[in-house]
Amino acid sequence: MIGLYILGAMLLFGAFKVLRGVYYIRKAKRLEAEVAALEGRTVASDGRTAAAKAEKKAQQAAAVVALGFVPEAELDTDNARPVPAGRKAALDAVRAGDWEAGAAYVEACGTDWEERWQRVRALAEVAAEDDAWLLAWRAARPADPTAALVNADTSVAVAWNVRGSLTAEHTTREQFRIFHELLVKAQADAHEAQRLAGPADPVPYMIEQPVAQGLGYAHEQYGELWAQITRRDPKVLTAHTSALQYWCAKWRGSHELALAFARESAASGKPGELLSLLPLTAYFEQKVRESDLRSETFFKEPEVVAAVEAALGDLAAADPDDWRTVRLRHLLAYFLFWQDREAEAVEHFRHIDGYIGALPWSYAPRSAYVYARDWTVRKVTPGL
Amino acid sequence: MGASLRAVRALVLLAGFYLLGVFLLAALVGVDFAVVTWLHGPVAFKIIIVSVVLAVPIVRGLFMLRTPKGEPPAGIPVTEAQEPLLWRTVREIAQQVGTRAPDEIVLIDEVNAAVAEDARMLGLRPGTRRLYLGLPLMTGLDEMQLRAVLAHEMGHYANFDTRLTPLIARGRAQLIRTIGHFHERADNKVAKERARQEKRDEKRVAKGKGAKGVDTSGQGATYRAMAKIYMAYGNFYMRATRTAGRRQELAADLASVRVAGRDSAASALREINALDSAHDFYMSSYATLGVGAGLLPRPGEVFGGLRKLLDARSEDLDDLRRDLSTEPASPYDSHPPLAERVARIEALPDDGRGGQAARPALELLSDAGAALAALEQVVLTPEALALKRVDWEDLVHQSMTQYVGQGAEEIREAFAAEGAGPGLPALLDAIDADPAVRWRIADRFPKSEEAAAATGRTAREFARPAVRRALNQLVTVELTGRGAARWQLSWSDSAALSYPADGFEEELRLALDAAVADLPDTEPLRKLVLAP
Repeated sequence: MIGLYILGAMLLFGAFKVLRGVYYIRKAKRLEAEVAALEGRTVASDGRTAAAKAEKKAQQAAAVVALGFVPEAELDTDNARPVPAGRKAALDAVRAGDWEAGAAYVEACGTDWEERWQRVRALAEVAAEDDAWLLAWRAARPADPTAALVNADTSVAVAWNVRGSLTAEHTTREQFRIFHELLVKAQADAHEAQRLAGPADPVPYMIEQPVAQGLGYAHEQYGELWAQITRRDPKVLTAHTSALQYWCAKWRGSHELALAFARESAASGKPGELLSLLPLTAYFEQKVRESDLRSETFFKEPEVVAAVEAALGDLAAADPDDWRTVRLRHLLAYFLFWQDREAEAVEHFRHIDGYIGALPWSYAPRSAYVYARDWTVRKVTPGL
Repeated sequence: MGASLRAVRALVLLAGFYLLGVFLLAALVGVDFAVVTWLHGPVAFKIIIVSVVLAVPIVRGLFMLRTPKGEPPAGIPVTEAQEPLLWRTVREIAQQVGTRAPDEIVLIDEVNAAVAEDARMLGLRPGTRRLYLGLPLMTGLDEMQLRAVLAHEMGHYANFDTRLTPLIARGRAQLIRTIGHFHERADNKVAKERARQEKRDEKRVAKGKGAKGVDTSGQGATYRAMAKIYMAYGNFYMRATRTAGRRQELAADLASVRVAGRDSAASALREINALDSAHDFYMSSYATLGVGAGLLPRPGEVFGGLRKLLDARSEDLDDLRRDLSTEPASPYDSHPPLAERVARIEALPDDGRGGQAARPALELLSDAGAALAALEQVVLTPEALALKRVDWEDLVHQSMTQYVGQGAEEIREAFAAEGAGPGLPALLDAIDADPAVRWRIADRFPKSEEAAAATGRTAREFARPAVRRALNQLVTVELTGRGAARWQLSWSDSAALSYPADGFEEELRLALDAAVADLPDTEPLRKLVLAP
């Protein structure tokens, strides 16, 4: 009998448990449905907010474009300025196998070393893809100093293509191995170009600069290379900016060394020679490297403002037709934007607009440029 | 706590291990009894089934604890008549340590020495005691170092503190093995389930359905659950007896110092650290190098060659002798980390036995060569014993030639598919006729992601080393085939090709560079390799 009571009690208890379980399950389901409905509403409202924001952004962007600026999608991220007419023709000719047109194109600029370097680099970029014409050129004129230059610069470009532009941990051992082998070969090619070159030509030594960066020349060894360049021409702008890269913290130097080099370069130049580009570049590289620096304050430091003033003076003294002024304007637009000097910045944005393959935009081309440009334009245009 | 009290506590803890099993079983029986009494029908039946399933690993656990013996290592037993000097040495050590000498000595193929005992009545009564002594271990040690190792092993069975010490030693070993068995079984079950699910996926894929993926998360759960209970107890046991365990290890190390001297005891531990890696490396890179080509070294050399490696790479091994592990070998291991043991020994006062001269340990055997040869007969599989035996020099040359030749087959196929080949002369002709054939051939070799994505001259720079390697391999086949080059054995380095003349290697390097240059020149390679 007692057993039956206990069994009855257990059954009742069991029934209670089961019913309570059913009740809780139903309640949970109801609550879940409510949560889902609420979530749905949140997503919808988020979507509406985002859509409204996007629409406003698009309207703002369209307003800037309406003032004559280039839409974001149409910005050229490969070139710092419109490609000169002669260059396009020469490159098309060599692609078609006419290496003599390429040779004539480079030789036409004579002893304008900056221009010579630019033209050699343009040909080398073509050769890095397809070099049948270059091989033909070299075979036809083995002692041609220009062919040797293009060949050496192609070796440099190909080495960097193999290396890729990713950070070390995303670069394979195969890539590093071949990169290093190719740099050694590029070094030999550069030395050959130096042997064949005319005594006044610094370009074969400028081609060795990125090799030095990649192979990690010691400071002393780099100093010797630098002396070879400056002995031939102390003021080639690209030679200076290339050397600055070597002295940066990300390669073989430090912020201090980079800034010291940049200041020395700037001091050596007369107004109009555009060497004031270097301190701006050094500050920019430091800002990129040190993530704890805030643009809002860093670019307003007195020494940075002074560097910008010097650059503005340099630019005013320069030949307005000198294409190298474009490189300075890119950096000035950026620095003036961060210094809240929109009225001055917008002038440079007008000059450079459309072609943004230059510092300081190269790290995040379109978004960084459009953000700075549109902000500046809105600030100086009443009613926008 | 006195020594005997500690021993009694350890004994109680060991007994608790059995009690744990009995208690768990009793709990299950109790549940079943309650179920049968109060419930009827299918529910009761199900509960009983579950309880039986749960009981299985417990019963197994008890069973395993009783007989945790694994397979004894294969080896050659040696009698006192066969190896009088070795036996005398072992007896001496046993006496110095204060324990019974082993009843049998078995020579094995490991870098290890171990004393095992067939315990009876849960280890309360002594059984046959066996000394397993590794010939590779003897190969690497001198006599005094070997004495140190043996003294340590026998020291575990010595009767220093209490008569119960051997029992504790055995109990601890059994506990470690039991937990290991649980994990092994759980892992096996997971592996089986994985294999089953992978097979199922293969079938599904073959039928055109998507793979379901492999999920073994629930597998072996009962074993793991049981292992957890036992491990929790095992951890408790270990914690409770850790000081005793460490004391024992210290005592065993002190025994080896007493027997062999401080410096020999310490250097033996350092040597074994180096010897372990050296032996693994020797077995994979030397002793079995020729297996793929059907070759083994001469009888006695399969294990005997280790000595040559140790002599040649002595300096490389110094790092391993110097840098000892500071981690314990396993969480259940009572051995303190090697670095700590050595430091403790070396901190002892100088006993003036540092400079003692000692002969190689192998000289304790009446004929080490014969023993090494005899061991092969016991340890190697019949398939291995059927392999051809050759001298080391021939072994390296013949097997390397065969392996490179096999690799070259694939290269020849790639060349032939592009109409270049099959031989080296035909290939060089094809390159002269159309230099671009080289890059097409490279497309047939496996490529990295980056190489596959590259275009233009960049793609060529990825291909160039691959073509150069392939050419070099064909050159090697050509030269070794004509007997102009020979793979050279080196005990201190990897096998290298020895070329016909000094400076040949440099010339070959330049010739290969010329053959893969943008404007190829195959002439140097022809002159160097194909000229009669």
